[in-house]
Amino acid sequence: MEIQRRDTARRYIYGSFAALALAVVGLWNVNAHIVPPEKLHPVTESYRRMEFMLQLNPVVWTDVARDATVIANGVEVVDPAVGGDYRREALGLVEAAAERGGLPLVERRQTAARVHGLSANAVAAKLKAHLENAAASLDDHSRATAELSEARALWSAFEPALQASNRGAYAELGRTWLELSSALGSPGVLGMGAVAADVQTFEDGKARLIAALTLPDEPVAKAEDNGTGVLAGLLLPETAYSPQAMLAALPPGSDINKQLPRPRQILNMATRGVDEAETPMIALGDMAFDSPEIFGEPARSLGISCNTCHNKGTTNPKLFIPGISARPGGLDVTNSFFAPHARNGIFDHLDTPDLRGIRFTAPYGRNGRFDSLRDFTRNVIVNEFNGEEPDPMLLDSLVIYMLEFDFLPNPHLKPDGWLTADAPAEALRGEEIFRRDFPQMNGSCASCHDPADHFVDRRRHDVGTVQGAEPHSRDRALDTPTLLSVAHTPPYLHDGSAATLEDAVAHFNDHYTLELSEAELADLTAYVRTVGSGTEAFEDSVFTLEAELEEFSFFLSTYELLRARGKDDLVDATLKTVAFEIEAHKWDVQDRRHMPTLDRLQDLVTEAWEARQRGEFEVADAHVAEYRALYEENREVLR
Amino acid sequence: MRRSSTSRRLALLLLGTVAFFVTFTVTPALADDTLRIAFIAYQNPDQLLENVEPVVEYLEGTLGEKVKAFTATDYAAVVEALANGTADVGFMGPLQYVMARRQAGARPILGEIYNGSDTYKSRIFVRKDSGIKSLADLKGKTIAFTDPISSSGYLYPLDTFKMAGLIKTRDDADAFFGRIYFAGGDEQAMRAVLNGFVEAAGVGQFSEGLLRGNERGEVISIGESRDIPSHCVVVGKDLEEKRVEKVRQALLALNEGPNHGLLQYLYGVDGYVQVNADTYNEVEKVATDYGFLQAP
Repeated sequence: MEIQRRDTARRYIYGSFAALALAVVGLWNVNAHIVPPEKLHPVTESYRRMEFMLQLNPVVWTDVARDATVIANGVEVVDPAVGGDYRREALGLVEAAAERGGLPLVERRQTAARVHGLSANAVAAKLKAHLENAAASLDDHSRATAELSEARALWSAFEPALQASNRGAYAELGRTWLELSSALGSPGVLGMGAVAADVQTFEDGKARLIAALTLPDEPVAKAEDNGTGVLAGLLLPETAYSPQAMLAALPPGSDINKQLPRPRQILNMATRGVDEAETPMIALGDMAFDSPEIFGEPARSLGISCNTCHNKGTTNPKLFIPGISARPGGLDVTNSFFAPHARNGIFDHLDTPDLRGIRFTAPYGRNGRFDSLRDFTRNVIVNEFNGEEPDPMLLDSLVIYMLEFDFLPNPHLKPDGWLTADAPAEALRGEEIFRRDFPQMNGSCASCHDPADHFVDRRRHDVGTVQGAEPHSRDRALDTPTLLSVAHTPPYLHDGSAATLEDAVAHFNDHYTLELSEAELADLTAYVRTVGSGTEAFEDSVFTLEAELEEFSFFLSTYELLRARGKDDLVDATLKTVAFEIEAHKWDVQDRRHMPTLDRLQDLVTEAWEARQRGEFEVADAHVAEYRALYEENREVLR
Repeated sequence: MRRSSTSRRLALLLLGTVAFFVTFTVTPALADDTLRIAFIAYQNPDQLLENVEPVVEYLEGTLGEKVKAFTATDYAAVVEALANGTADVGFMGPLQYVMARRQAGARPILGEIYNGSDTYKSRIFVRKDSGIKSLADLKGKTIAFTDPISSSGYLYPLDTFKMAGLIKTRDDADAFFGRIYFAGGDEQAMRAVLNGFVEAAGVGQFSEGLLRGNERGEVISIGESRDIPSHCVVVGKDLEEKRVEKVRQALLALNEGPNHGLLQYLYGVDGYVQVNADTYNEVEKVATDYGFLQAP
């Protein structure tokens, strides 16, 4: 209670911008690699998210409707007529599409373009109204400041697209906003130091912005030819719809940060005391697992790797991308954003599975679509994340690395899968229910989640969690997931639709009409939780830099082997990955006097990569040697 | 401890540089035996008043008098309240204080400690890939400051250029730079540099931290000001010395002990250090040199 109260106090004492600073800087030294969300005006956030979602195939119209409502509400505050028109027309189109459960190709493009155009106009109308209000209140500094601040925050709705498509206009208009804020002057302190508002400069700047904001309702071929402003060129063209043209940026509301504290990863050979630097294929696989380089665009530019979703080989319960995730913890892997060529046109979110003990849990994919881990992994790289065909050695290394992933040790579980006698009493009662035969299920829970075999049966079953394509269709079967370590990886079921183990157990009780009592359900859940628990599920320290740097030294341990085998692409990927990872993690350093050392380490791997591109391989060797020496010299203080 | 003190410093810098609405939400006439403290709230003043209630309770218990918290939305309003007698105690930056003492006879009683220091600095940031290596390279270039009335976001950045022998007066600055902008806050000024709208920003020491982790590597500081005395607790000219001393001791007592946690409601400082008007004489001189104040 006290803690909550304090947090609230802070938030309001400092105000929103300061709260953002707290969020950013409060974490500065510990986990600066966790990127906080951008602080946006609600209308701006909705516009940018909607713009992203309208370009997806399929479009999740129900999510678009939420954002259109936010825009309508925001516009109605300043202009009820424009806001009302927008609500009627744009929201009307979106809701009609949602009700129909989607639209065919041509109609979808037309509707998306129309909704986008209407939304851009609505946001522009609101922006212009606040600009006019600011201009009309230049003699009232606080009011003018507030109105300008609102207008500027709305301008951010258009900035990413403008920045990507027309850098000149983006910078020029960015300066215009600075001219406007400067033209407000200052009331001074008790009149001392007061600076009068510069009305003419403000009017000139306002006029330039309004000209830029003049948009047609419909997309036009060439914006400037139609008496419209530069922003008109950013409207989605309905005829040239192209997922590849999307910005390599995730929409507001996305969260691809990794977990903190980090899940404890158990590599079998490391537990046995083997140093990863002595196991080149495992080190190479580790590098590849953490490397955006093995994926194609846009994942690569966004810094997405296997480790983004399977954090430390487990899951990432917060991972969320609007329009692609139905809920946190997973995404639709056959979406049109990351690999448009392999989209299936269906919004079918999958909860990210934990990879612990993966050598025991074939087949792979929630529906068990691949028997081979190697085939599954190749498909992730090439068809889910748009990567080039992976080098066979790289693919082997990823498989070899993942085969080292072990379940968390569980002291309440005997080798044969029975609970130990000292397990909690309710779990022991639940174990009886788990192994009880129910004719409705053609067996027991244990028939599929076989305790003697890591709680899997390596088969696919329809357990009533998938809505089939048509009545009696056979597309409802899913791979039996293990229950080991499951207590630490909510949510549950293939689509993450069960938030808790209680919910998951309740689904089976309902679907198979097991008619378990409340007490029995609690016992069964306690059993699953006990089976699914493990010791030290998370790392005890949130300081990760030291471990990360040690991992980078493992990555670089493959350098000579890859050089000797002539695997130039893999050497390059390793160097780029280490440079990328140092950039992401160096801000975590606790004593910032060591930042120059981290900068130097980053420069050395970057320069090694650059030297290799010039064909100067000995120079690259020397940089790598210098990196290793510098790291060894400083490893005790880099934490 | 470390991480929170960094964030406190930033919060303070923001408080010092972002100018928003100026209105008092509550300014009732109160009996003379009530100590009136002006807090700054950018939003939700009611919530702020609720949240500072533990501080009010602590002060009432320690001072043995009634304490009333008010909210204002910027420093000018706090200064005005001290000047017209609607507040007895307020919190402000060094430049605002020297203006307040000139105009209203305000007195500083305590300086705030952040990151273990009772001083801070301004920095001049540029894009790392800009090729700009020194302050002299900024001749003819554009720069964004935070606000025309800001210690770390205008006055001391100007002073940094003066110490480097590049300008002597505020008018020189207008001639030295291609154009000067006021972005409205440290973060806005930093983003203007990051996004290439301007070539430099003159802002508070830790403003780099206002950028996201992946953006910080794109900017670099090429100059740093002399030390600036930190923000201060100020009392109005009419508050009796006996009461002033009690307030001072009550706040100093928060530096350690069971009530230390209350500091987080007081802009999250690490603690307080005793100051007097002389602590800010250099600030006054710098402010006078640049025409923020008339020479006495």
